[in-house]
Amino acid sequence: MKFFTTFRKKSPWILHYNAGSCNGCDIEILASLAPKFDLERFGVINTGNPKQSDIFLVTGPVTYRSRERLVELYTQIPEPKVVVAVGSCTATGGVFRGMVNTEDGIDRYIPVDVYVPGCASSPQLIIDGLVKALEILEAKSKEIEKPFKLFGAIETIGNKLSRLNMAKKVHNDEN
Amino acid sequence: MTWIWILLAPLLGGLIYGGERVLRARMQRRQGPPLLQPFYDMFKLLDKRTLIIHAPHALLAVAHFLVLWFTIAAIFLGWNLLTIIFLHLFAQILLILAGYSVLSVYSHLGSNRELLMVVAYEPILIVVAVGFYLISGSFEISTILQGGGYWHQLPLLFVALLIIVPIKVKKSPFDVGEAHQEIVGGIEIEYSGVFYEFLYMSRFLEYIFIYSFVFLFGGESYWLGAVLVAGTFLVVNLVDNATARVHTADMLKIVYGVAMSLAIINLVGVLL
Amino acid sequence: MGIMLTLFLLPIIASVFTLLLPFERVHYFISASVLVILSASAFLLYSSPEIVTFQLSHIMNLLVVVADIILLLYFLYQGIKFKSGNVILLSVVQLLLYGYVESIAPIAGSAEIVVDNLSKFMFLIINGVGGIIVLYAVRYMRDEAVSATKKSLFIAGLLLFISIMNLIVCANSILLFFLLFEMTTLASYLLISFRNDPLSRANGLKALWMNQIGGVVILVAALVAIEGFGTVMFDTLLKSSGGMVLFTVALLAMSALVKGASLPFEGWLLGAMVAPTPVSAMLHSATMVKIAPYLILKLAPVLGATLLGNFFSVMGALVFVAASYLALSRFVFKEILGYSTVALLGLMMALAAIGTKESMTLAMVLMVFHALSKALLFLSAGVLEKQYHVKSIEEMKGLVHRAPKTVGFILFGFVSLTLPPFGLFMGKLLAITSISSLLRERPILLIVVLSLVIGSALLVLLYFKVASAILSSPCDIHPSEKEYLPYGFSIPLWLLTLYSIAVSLGFILLQKNLFIAWLALPLLVVILLPSMVTRMEQYDRIQPYHCGEKELFDAALVYYEPSIRVRQMIYWSFGMLFVAVAFIGVLS
Repeated sequence: MKFFTTFRKKSPWILHYNAGSCNGCDIEILASLAPKFDLERFGVINTGNPKQSDIFLVTGPVTYRSRERLVELYTQIPEPKVVVAVGSCTATGGVFRGMVNTEDGIDRYIPVDVYVPGCASSPQLIIDGLVKALEILEAKSKEIEKPFKLFGAIETIGNKLSRLNMAKKVHNDEN
Repeated sequence: MTWIWILLAPLLGGLIYGGERVLRARMQRRQGPPLLQPFYDMFKLLDKRTLIIHAPHALLAVAHFLVLWFTIAAIFLGWNLLTIIFLHLFAQILLILAGYSVLSVYSHLGSNRELLMVVAYEPILIVVAVGFYLISGSFEISTILQGGGYWHQLPLLFVALLIIVPIKVKKSPFDVGEAHQEIVGGIEIEYSGVFYEFLYMSRFLEYIFIYSFVFLFGGESYWLGAVLVAGTFLVVNLVDNATARVHTADMLKIVYGVAMSLAIINLVGVLL
Repeated sequence: MGIMLTLFLLPIIASVFTLLLPFERVHYFISASVLVILSASAFLLYSSPEIVTFQLSHIMNLLVVVADIILLLYFLYQGIKFKSGNVILLSVVQLLLYGYVESIAPIAGSAEIVVDNLSKFMFLIINGVGGIIVLYAVRYMRDEAVSATKKSLFIAGLLLFISIMNLIVCANSILLFFLLFEMTTLASYLLISFRNDPLSRANGLKALWMNQIGGVVILVAALVAIEGFGTVMFDTLLKSSGGMVLFTVALLAMSALVKGASLPFEGWLLGAMVAPTPVSAMLHSATMVKIAPYLILKLAPVLGATLLGNFFSVMGALVFVAASYLALSRFVFKEILGYSTVALLGLMMALAAIGTKESMTLAMVLMVFHALSKALLFLSAGVLEKQYHVKSIEEMKGLVHRAPKTVGFILFGFVSLTLPPFGLFMGKLLAITSISSLLRERPILLIVVLSLVIGSALLVLLYFKVASAILSSPCDIHPSEKEYLPYGFSIPLWLLTLYSIAVSLGFILLQKNLFIAWLALPLLVVILLPSMVTRMEQYDRIQPYHCGEKELFDAALVYYEPSIRVRQMIYWSFGMLFVAVAFIGVLS
């Protein structure tokens, strides 16, 4: 409904996930949540739970260890949702680009809506990125969004729509 | 008139919750969310896609909310205090069953802690009710509100109630049931969208439930009751900002060791 | 009179037929008709106001003596056969005491059998619930690995037991009461050791010697009554005054504590859980242990506001808390139920011992609802044992997916033990109200209120901890399995469920203020909600959240185990309280 859509940007709840970052950006995210920058004035709550989140804040270049968790978390966020990639390595791989055990950025796995640059990114930039993401969130539809890689299947069993296997498991032999 | 109040109860609770978030922000010297933030959250939750684990799990949250609302209605209608406490227990049990009904570790842990919280605060609530009975001679709220003098005859009982208020509204140091950092919200973890909204609203009702016990200490003077509620509200939030979460076992020890002894001393004092 | 004879004789006749015709269908027929006739006659008797008395003839009295001596000799023989020192010692003591008491016993002055309102009330419980349990036992025994004769013997034994119970609740002579008390002891000994393995043997002997303590105490009470008042009749004794009345009453109350498996005697009741489930349901929760609150109710007019009455009610209340607490460390389902039975019996005795009219009524109310709910729970436990081979709550995890119907019954049992608008909840609610009104005159009852409140909270924790194990179920994307529940099991379970709903409704309607009926409204909401299930199809199904992991993992159950020192302290202090009952009796 149109009426409720306007409230999307008044209450963005975030899920923060570290996909192998050096913790620099994570500290900055926490700083922007803390009293000095006070993200809560936009109605932000750090839920820590994908099922109640709207904005997926990801840091880090996606190590091989973390990719299936990244995709699993992404599929567990109910639509409409936006993904904000915080930091250079999340966008491009940054200093980790081309390493043997990491991917080059999260957009190979899941669709990204806003890239926040910086190594480490500053709280001002993160807040800017979030506010930008809110505009995108308001325009989104409630259609199911799928990850690019490791996508399993959306099955309909009876009349029920199953998202149980939307994220596939990584096997050791496939990289 | 009472019926309008009953219908508006979730709204009232939402305002208290919004006010609390602002107050907490001001205590930390920040701006904080707008006063109506809880309602924005509720409207947004209506606009989300809803994911559920299974139907009974989702429906138990609805049942929890409805029974809790019924309890609040009973308070506004001035029913028997014991009945109200047991109705509240019923609502709480529905929530706990919901938490247990999914194969989720955090949900189970949350339910376990919620059960321990019931064990902690339930006896104190009933003892408070017995205290009211000893002074006013009735368990009916409408009769209790016509009497007076609870405040200076049951001071220690009031302190005992003050100790369990943070348990009920899930504030530090007793926010073990929610514990976002450890168990991601516990019982509420598997809810999303519309069904999370019911849990979110039942939190508003919990505020009304526990603060109406505080209000009763004012007796016939509603002003005194209002002052007590406001004071408790401030103290609880101050303590919330100033303390860390205690261990579940310590919560039980504190409630049974301190609050219970205070309550007993007070009751014995009244009786002898 | 005819109805009463039906109550005593019909079970005996039925048990003879059960032995003669060892076919399952016949057993079904016999037990069903016994259930119908007995409950109908108990109900008829309850609705008629007359008080029936009956005096035993000389020969019958002689028979009682002979039966008593044979029984005691049998106990002695069992003690020697299984080399149990306790049993031998207590049997010898009992024999000597009994011989002495019988030699000085006065010729009966008044009727030995008196059927008053309390007895009629007990008939309702014994025959209503007991009959259902016998019906259930027929199906239960089909899967038991014993010979057909032994199966018939088992059912015949249960039927005989109903008859004994019907007699004991209208015995007016202490000596007759002693005989029947010892016969219930014999019944629990035989039925506990029914499976005849070493564990059952040991537990049976334990039950035997612990209950014999009760027998000894009753004999001492009879001795004191004869020496002091020259009578062995309850009614004469309760009417007479003088210092020794309370001592006699205290001794009889001690025997109630033993039979009610109060701490520190709860060991025999927990040991009894190795017996086949109908035994646990019949003897150790629904009927036999109810002798304890029954006896206290009978003695209550004397107990009243005396020091002994206050002491006894405080003790019962403490048993309520301690047993609920000890139950939290257990993991076998039947043991958990056993402990909560011990706890609730303590509460009933406490309420009965307070001795006001209101609290006595409440004790009776608790008795009815406890009998119904506990029988339901025990019978469901039996179903789980037979159909799914599940005994401990660890094995029960996710049972709702495999056995939705049985789990439904178990949940209903828990709900009816704790939540509004069911009887036990109402009982507790009214108990708090009525004791609070007594607090000004008898401040010591504050302990009872506190124990009642804390114990109830602990019991909620206990029951819903078990619920946690059975309820957890995966995503409902695939429909759960259909459960096969044979009629032999489902009919008794449904009967008990309907009984407890009907009795609860009746109880609510009996209350003067109908406003309590409002309390049923929330339950209605909960019942109506499942109709929404089909509408839930539109929502997406998803896995539980495990921090991004795909594998499911499970949380362990939580146990709250007291340390050995605390446990010993509890036992010792309750042991001392038990002895103190006698001293207080002497003092007051």
